[in-house]
Amino acid sequence: FADKELGYQDRRDTLINLIQTYLATFADIGVETWLMHGTLLGWWWNKRIMPWDSDLDVQVSEQSMHFLASYYNMSVFHYKTPRIREGRDYMLEINPHYTNREQTDKLNVIDARWVDTSSGLFIDITTVRYNDTHPAGKGMLSCKDGHEFRDTYLFPLRDTMFEGTPAKIPFAYREILESEYKKKALTLTEYENHHFDDAKMDWIPKKQDQETL
Amino acid sequence: MPALPVYKGDAPPLHTIRKPANDRRHMWSLRWYVALLLVFSIATYFISFHHGSSTFHRMNDEVTTSRKDIKNMIQLLPSNFLPETGKHRHNGRLVVVGDVHGMKHSLVSLLSKMDFNRKHDHLILAGDMISKGPDSKGVVDLIMKIGATAVRGNHEDQVLIEYARMTDANVTITEDGEDVTTDEEPLLSAGNHKDRKLVKALGHKRLRWLKSCPIILKVGELEGMGNVIVVHAGLVPGVRLEKQDPETVMNIRTISKDGKPRDDHDGRPWTKAWHEYQKSLQMKDRTMVIYGHDARLGLQEEKYSIGIDTRCQKGGKLTAVVIEGGFSVHKYHIVHVGCKA
Repeated sequence: FADKELGYQDRRDTLINLIQTYLATFADIGVETWLMHGTLLGWWWNKRIMPWDSDLDVQVSEQSMHFLASYYNMSVFHYKTPRIREGRDYMLEINPHYTNREQTDKLNVIDARWVDTSSGLFIDITTVRYNDTHPAGKGMLSCKDGHEFRDTYLFPLRDTMFEGTPAKIPFAYREILESEYKKKALTLTEYENHHFDDAKMDWIPKKQDQETL
Repeated sequence: MPALPVYKGDAPPLHTIRKPANDRRHMWSLRWYVALLLVFSIATYFISFHHGSSTFHRMNDEVTTSRKDIKNMIQLLPSNFLPETGKHRHNGRLVVVGDVHGMKHSLVSLLSKMDFNRKHDHLILAGDMISKGPDSKGVVDLIMKIGATAVRGNHEDQVLIEYARMTDANVTITEDGEDVTTDEEPLLSAGNHKDRKLVKALGHKRLRWLKSCPIILKVGELEGMGNVIVVHAGLVPGVRLEKQDPETVMNIRTISKDGKPRDDHDGRPWTKAWHEYQKSLQMKDRTMVIYGHDARLGLQEEKYSIGIDTRCQKGGKLTAVVIEGGFSVHKYHIVHVGCKA
């Protein structure tokens, strides 16, 4: 899709456009999606993508994924906005993977991608699935990376904003973040050569020369 | 902050007091150091809590704006509900009841035990009227019927969030509510089944009423009790009511060592810091908080706080604070009934 890498600010802008168009599209389609993992951590700090993040993590439920696979695979959405002046195509790509997994009865591990066809950057959309045979009983959800939690930690989803766009986050977002990243990640203001400035509410890169990042 | 010299024993530190002329001077300097220590420790709490309340969710102000769905943060109880004092007073009472959690029969029995008369008594619910127990719908109907006031508890909040989610997804919800046995309206995402069942059972009219309940209820100034406030879980000391974070007010149980409000028992009960802060204020500015939410601690009667979650839904008791006016001051007493699990 792309023939060269983007600079620091360019990449940040591209990712912002990527998540904004993704959230707007899914709100239009009517598919519920929520922020997770690194993106949720970015939301925690200042409702924005953390500058050093190169990808974004969002999730949908299994039913949503089947719905997307049935009706929206390989759909292209064209966005031309004041922030995306030249107009850009975003593609929703659903990857059905048919694999036999010993742990579960389910045969599908489906991932989807929201791809910026100009830059090649994409959002990985993962599915959260109910694990009916979990020892803890009913209502246990699991992610592709092995992360597990109760559905009461996820639902009801909370409405909020992310990068200036309406978004949803898990109900027990603090518990989910703490269990994945430890409590320090929620309060440590020095990370990845950036410093979190409370007044500006943003991660400021420590090096002046931004192009080297 | 410089290290504060702790005054111990008879001799005052030389560099601060030149020469104690007599014993009296000793006592004065002791009081000064104790007072300074107290002020600094309270100031530390004040500062750390203000910071703490903003790190509970990273940005305190942002949370109240991101909970844009909460329109009614603080409400003042109409003054005609306040019990009167004096010789020719009205015999009306204010009754505050903790976490009912759908235990309608227990609520009815508690109200009848104190001969509640809706003509002159007023009922206030401290949140968590619904969820967990057998008859949430009945509880809401009852309290709506007798014209009660309520604050939003964390369970109301959870159900209201699910309600918003379901309305966005165009799930059928009736005005009066209906009991559904199966989830015939599959959302594109799954959900908390108990909450969704409850939303459907309550229906728009009860959910609207619950949504209108404030997070903080200012009862008013009651002579003998101070400024009385009812919230579901607690308040962060030193932070103005308008700046309180609604999630914290509905969930707080303890405050951690580094000043962060927590909803578990891993810190110091928030009431301890609350009392320390109240003592630093003038009498007229002190506030008494009546709250629920912490069933583990049960009834907690303290000078500036009363905790009344006595775990009715699990076979404990349902407790009420009954406030009435006397000849000159207001006073309260506790009434409770046992609950059948």
